[in-house]
Amino acid sequence: MKKTLLTLAATLAFGTAAFAEPLKIGIAAEPYPPFASPDASGAWVGWEVDFINAVCAAGQMECVVTPVAWEGIIPSLTGGQIDAIMASMSITEERMQTIDFSDKYYNTPSVLLTAKGSGLTPDASGMSGKIIGVQVSTIHEAYAQAHFPDAAEIKTYQTTDEAFQDLSAGRVDVAFADSIANDAFLASEVGMACCEAIGAVADDPAILGLGIGVGLRKGEDALKAQFNAAIAKVIADGTYDTISKPYFPSSIYGG
Amino acid sequence: MLGLIAPTAAASAFDLLAWSPPGWGATLVAGLWNTILIAFGAYGLGLFIGVLGAFGKLYGGPITRDLLGVYTTLVRAVPELVLILILYFAVTDAVNQFLVFNGYERIQLSGVAAGIAVLGIVQGAYSTEVLRGAIQSVPAGQIEAARAMGMPPMLLARRVTLPLMTAAAVPGLANLWLTCTKDTALLAVVGFIELTKATSLAAGTTKAFLTFYLAAGVLYLILSLLSGVVFGRIERWARKGQRPMAGGGM
Repeated sequence: MKKTLLTLAATLAFGTAAFAEPLKIGIAAEPYPPFASPDASGAWVGWEVDFINAVCAAGQMECVVTPVAWEGIIPSLTGGQIDAIMASMSITEERMQTIDFSDKYYNTPSVLLTAKGSGLTPDASGMSGKIIGVQVSTIHEAYAQAHFPDAAEIKTYQTTDEAFQDLSAGRVDVAFADSIANDAFLASEVGMACCEAIGAVADDPAILGLGIGVGLRKGEDALKAQFNAAIAKVIADGTYDTISKPYFPSSIYGG
Repeated sequence: MLGLIAPTAAASAFDLLAWSPPGWGATLVAGLWNTILIAFGAYGLGLFIGVLGAFGKLYGGPITRDLLGVYTTLVRAVPELVLILILYFAVTDAVNQFLVFNGYERIQLSGVAAGIAVLGIVQGAYSTEVLRGAIQSVPAGQIEAARAMGMPPMLLARRVTLPLMTAAAVPGLANLWLTCTKDTALLAVVGFIELTKATSLAAGTTKAFLTFYLAAGVLYLILSLLSGVVFGRIERWARKGQRPMAGGGM
């Protein structure tokens, strides 16, 4: 009895992360429909939140969704405030120098938005002399820096939503983001009135990455294997298609 | 066109601020509660540091005084925003690397704890200076008179220094409290959902920017007005028996 109490006390005191504490899944604390956005009661809803729940259920992991500022999400992971990132983060070589990734769980193209009837083309010559709005520390910012050297300015925003706002207000000529996030904006009242997509940019896997994966601390291979198995299970047993149906007309898993 | 939109916009502004979903009222108030929680914690911690710091600066040895001088100078020189980012990301990371290296579990610093710690340290530096000034404003004659009566140091502090300095410190401390309530908004940068972050999420999701930022402004104003009433009372109490000061309260 005494020994049990001692063990219990030790567990409470040192809190072995393995079973005592739920996994903190970091998402970006910003409205990013249809993947993750807060509803009026403050709860987070969207495809990615459903996917997090499905993966955690499949992997028998206890998870809590923890909103973190996007630009601090990698330091939050390495600093231990969260245990995994599931915030539509692309698997890129640059990020892999700091953190590790699971297998991808979706992959969508990157598309440019402009005001209606701008007639611009989604390439370097079309972007020459234009102001491009992107979210900070994203593959889109990196791509714009590398491929649109003649752009007048690459304006970075804390959230994608702010880049869209400035596009509709005319403060930027172009907004560059994920195609699905763009579609959600174009379907909104403001987006419908002002803007249109002018198409995807030419692919550059080194920058645009290999799809979206779960970001994990380096060296946590057991957790990575657990996530990979859970993602594979969710895709194989049809849960992936079930949760995708209300949000997307076709699968976003990608090639 | 505008005429057509305006009535629906006005109606929907109240719908958006309703207490229960689809209104965001409860979410905003929950954010306000976090703001108040952090402001209280940080202010308390700041006062505690401030009292120790002020006495240390005035009566401590040369090393204590120098260290406190470095503290107040550094903290008041670096923007709070930078301090928050340093503590929340850099310091936590360093501490965890140290712990893991030595075979311990990593600690998790919650948003509330980090917020209270950073703002408390910042508040502490300003409080130190406010309290130091207040202690120094106690007329030397009063203290000498007490000593001449043979009052021991603790009794002197309780009967003469503290009552006189409190009266001088309250306006400065009231200012610090107001700064503190608004500095909590800086925690939005680390994604902590206090009033400002809750507002920007609500505004970003619904696109009703004016409605939500005005609502947040009103909530901050209410907080300030209530604080003004409380500090006005404290000031009247602290200045009991002294000449009333013009322009007291807020």
